[in-house]
Amino acid sequence: MPIVALGLSHHSCPVTVREQFAFSEASIPEVLAKMREKGLVDEGVILSTCNRVEVYASTSLDTRACFEGLHQFLVDHHAYEGPLNEELYKLGEPMSVHHLFKVACGLDSMVLGETEILGQLKKAYDLALQHGHTGSRLNKAFQRAFNVAKHIRTETNIQRGSVSVGSVAVELAEKIFNHLKEREVLVIGAGDTSEKTARALLSRGAKGIVVTNRSLEKAQALAADLGGRAVGFDAWASEFGRIDIVISSTSAPNYVLDRAKLEPLMKLRRQKPLLLIDIAVPRDIEPEVNFMDDVYLYNIDDLQAIAADYLKQRQEEIARCEAIIQEKAQIILSQPAPRPSPPGTEPAFGHD
Amino acid sequence: MGVDWLNGRGFFAMAVVIYGISTVYSVFLWRKGFRRDDWVIYALLAAAFAFHTTAMIKRGMSLNHCPVSNLYEATAFITWTIVGFYSIAGLVPKLRFLGAFASPVLFAIGIFALMPRLDIPHELSPAPPGTLTSIHAAMISLAYGAFGLSCVAGIMYLTQERNLKFHKLKAIFSLLPPIQRLELVVVRLLIAGLILLTAGLAIGAYDLSLLNNPQRFRGDPKVVWSALVWVMYAGLLIGRWKFAQSGRRFAIGTVGTFAFVLLTFWGTNLLSSLHNPTP
Repeated sequence: MPIVALGLSHHSCPVTVREQFAFSEASIPEVLAKMREKGLVDEGVILSTCNRVEVYASTSLDTRACFEGLHQFLVDHHAYEGPLNEELYKLGEPMSVHHLFKVACGLDSMVLGETEILGQLKKAYDLALQHGHTGSRLNKAFQRAFNVAKHIRTETNIQRGSVSVGSVAVELAEKIFNHLKEREVLVIGAGDTSEKTARALLSRGAKGIVVTNRSLEKAQALAADLGGRAVGFDAWASEFGRIDIVISSTSAPNYVLDRAKLEPLMKLRRQKPLLLIDIAVPRDIEPEVNFMDDVYLYNIDDLQAIAADYLKQRQEEIARCEAIIQEKAQIILSQPAPRPSPPGTEPAFGHD
Repeated sequence: MGVDWLNGRGFFAMAVVIYGISTVYSVFLWRKGFRRDDWVIYALLAAAFAFHTTAMIKRGMSLNHCPVSNLYEATAFITWTIVGFYSIAGLVPKLRFLGAFASPVLFAIGIFALMPRLDIPHELSPAPPGTLTSIHAAMISLAYGAFGLSCVAGIMYLTQERNLKFHKLKAIFSLLPPIQRLELVVVRLLIAGLILLTAGLAIGAYDLSLLNNPQRFRGDPKVVWSALVWVMYAGLLIGRWKFAQSGRRFAIGTVGTFAFVLLTFWGTNLLSSLHNPTP
């Protein structure tokens, strides 16, 4: 019984189409049951995330008939009226198994190498397993996919490093401070990136957030959102004794923090290290402060250069990951001999 | 330079060879940017430690006392304590790379220790050391072992600090520990070393007081030097706690002080009539 994969992703269609095919978690067991009752699939797993909706199945039908049946099933189930051609990719063996492994490893994700998809795939598989919609073929394939993801995570750099400014800032903080959980963060100004950076630090355990802005109301609103507290723009310097990380993102035309201002503030901190993240353009923090002892200043270009380098490293790992996937997929595929894919089975977007 | 397998010198030589291999491997790790957790360095140093321990035991058994009675033995003991401290610290994954920084230091000291003129035959020594003297020497050696590893951690700190300061990508990509943790490791090793040094010097002072006319050794170069080293290390810790001399300055002080110890230990020992009595 060959394994097939059918679905839509951010590669093949925009969110306006994908959202029309999304499944809620509660509805998936029933949908799989219907697919099996209709004889379309013998085993099935549905993966529905913000970037993809996919059906992985093992079928005793002719592959082409299975694809046509599933295509019609999805259209009918979601009452979709628009055209659906290249948006929906249909993969027979061996590409279906390769695709499953690639998805598990984050190679097909919007952010190359991201790890969230593995958790989502495991959840989708567990849901199908609990409701008895998987059997020996899909069980082996999915278990193997999870092992391959783990193998690739340890053996390659595909998942290493951070590719967003916020997460790079967190990594920098973790290279300086022993634990983030004792660290307080000061956000000067407000902005999307500084908010995301602050959230990233909080999610990794930063102790607290202090927000300051020329507009106290904006500072209070952001502080409430982040679970921190706000201080007046004239008063933030007094917080320096407690602060370990500063994220600055104002629209001030001049430096908000320069060496002359920082030197006495460092004495308040008894020379504990201080991480300054200057996301503003024009810059808020005088570059000269980086030469002070125990001060580490990174501007937006520095953070983006690190993120770009990580992404480049990940991209360099793609060929190696694909070689591993090919090798591991062969183990599954060599178990019953796969039926050749019928003509007209289109490869998915991004696949050879 | 004869390799005397009988009393353990051969085993020490094997340990030094492995320190050399570990040094070469450390260069490889350095060039790779310490990007992957690596058990190889730990395994190499563990193997060397086994040979080294065997050397110490064999020498001790042949002498019937703790083997710290000549410069070769003292140097070997100090090196052994550095590896011993590392074998504990290296169990923590992010501290495993201490081995890469320690290996060149161990190899250099080991090569020095193998110089033939350091291993004076015990038949030529005036008398075997008593129990108190052995304890004094052992505790001092343990102290210098702790100081040695703190120096290594200090070098790691300065390396990583420089990478972060100059926005080098390897600061992020490497698996070296955060600099604040490295500073903590340095502090703890210095505290351990200072306690051991204080105890060792106190025992030595008591042992000295049992001699006839101990005042003649008041100006002994090694005695003066030991007091100076104690003041330097105590000063580093006081400077950090009381005067906020932490971070980079503290690391430089730690590395510089141990460099001073390394460069002057053997010379002052040779000049000391107390530690190097002429027969």
